[in-house]
Amino acid sequence: MTANCSACVPSSDMATAAQAEGVEMQTLQREKSQSTPEVHADPQAGRLAMAGDSYPENSYEFFHEIVTWVETYLRDTDQPLHLELRLAYLNTSSVRAMLDIFDLLQAAHEEGQGVSVDWLYHPRNERVADLAEEFREDCTFPFEIKPDQPE
Amino acid sequence: MCILPADSPDTTNSNGSRVMREIDLFSMREEFQRHDIRLCFNGPISRSLVEEIGNALKKYLESADAPPGAVMDIFGVYVEMTQNIRHYAGRQGFSDDESSTTVIVARDDDTGHYLVEACNLVKRDDGNALLERVRELAAMDQGQLKKAFKTQLRAPRDEEANTGAGLGLIDIARRSAEPLSAQLKDVADDRQLFSLRAVI
Repeated sequence: MTANCSACVPSSDMATAAQAEGVEMQTLQREKSQSTPEVHADPQAGRLAMAGDSYPENSYEFFHEIVTWVETYLRDTDQPLHLELRLAYLNTSSVRAMLDIFDLLQAAHEEGQGVSVDWLYHPRNERVADLAEEFREDCTFPFEIKPDQPE
Repeated sequence: MCILPADSPDTTNSNGSRVMREIDLFSMREEFQRHDIRLCFNGPISRSLVEEIGNALKKYLESADAPPGAVMDIFGVYVEMTQNIRHYAGRQGFSDDESSTTVIVARDDDTGHYLVEACNLVKRDDGNALLERVRELAAMDQGQLKKAFKTQLRAPRDEEANTGAGLGLIDIARRSAEPLSAQLKDVADDRQLFSLRAVI
């Protein structure tokens, strides 16, 4: 991985506003819609959270900027990245897009960068846990699948 | 719940006359009730209709106290079927009429299972290939289906990668309690109606 350096300007056009320590990346915030989850990516906290159902007809359109955000973050910092997922239903093209994200995490992990995933599911909905488990099978970084505790 | 778009060819008179043809709604209703059809749709299905009907379906299933896993499977099968049909019709450049889709969700009170079935127009070669693929999937057990899903997930993506093509059918098979089944019906020299049936 390249070291932290504030002079590094990521090629992505999203990398201008927020100035974390040595990292110039924007926060990514998307409200939940009927077929897309709520998304909050915070470069300063090193955290990406997604919650809700994901079944957009064109998943590439929706996931492209999220995948790009993850890719840019992992490339331009050596800070850890934590994913907090409360995804309930994913259509197959969203599954493909999530696989891209997990592949990026796995590659970063193999380079020594700290990455981790918590996938929280409704205790009555074991289908979500099954899906998360299938993703986890291909990952060697910390990946927890646990029932969501109502606050 | 049954939805027919207002501009459906079935609801307007083809000769332009203002006299509406008679539709025997009573016998249609009897047919729906006889088969315990809880939801049906017929007509060109838009991206937002897929979502709206899906949302209504999910709410209906939740109110009918279906277990959360079953709600997700029925909803998932509905989404993959309708999105597959939309992607296919889009790639073929089909008109609204040609894109017309029939979807039903029915419940079998004896077994507690739900039936999701969708029907659309396909080119003859595609229909035969689909039928063959459904037969292959129907012969697989859960372990083989999982393997097929993972293989397909890692398969090289072509230009139309955003369709998730191929994966949808395996996903439907994995969510089904009985082997998938499909039928073809000739409608023109090079066109067939393809119907896919999943029991959840």
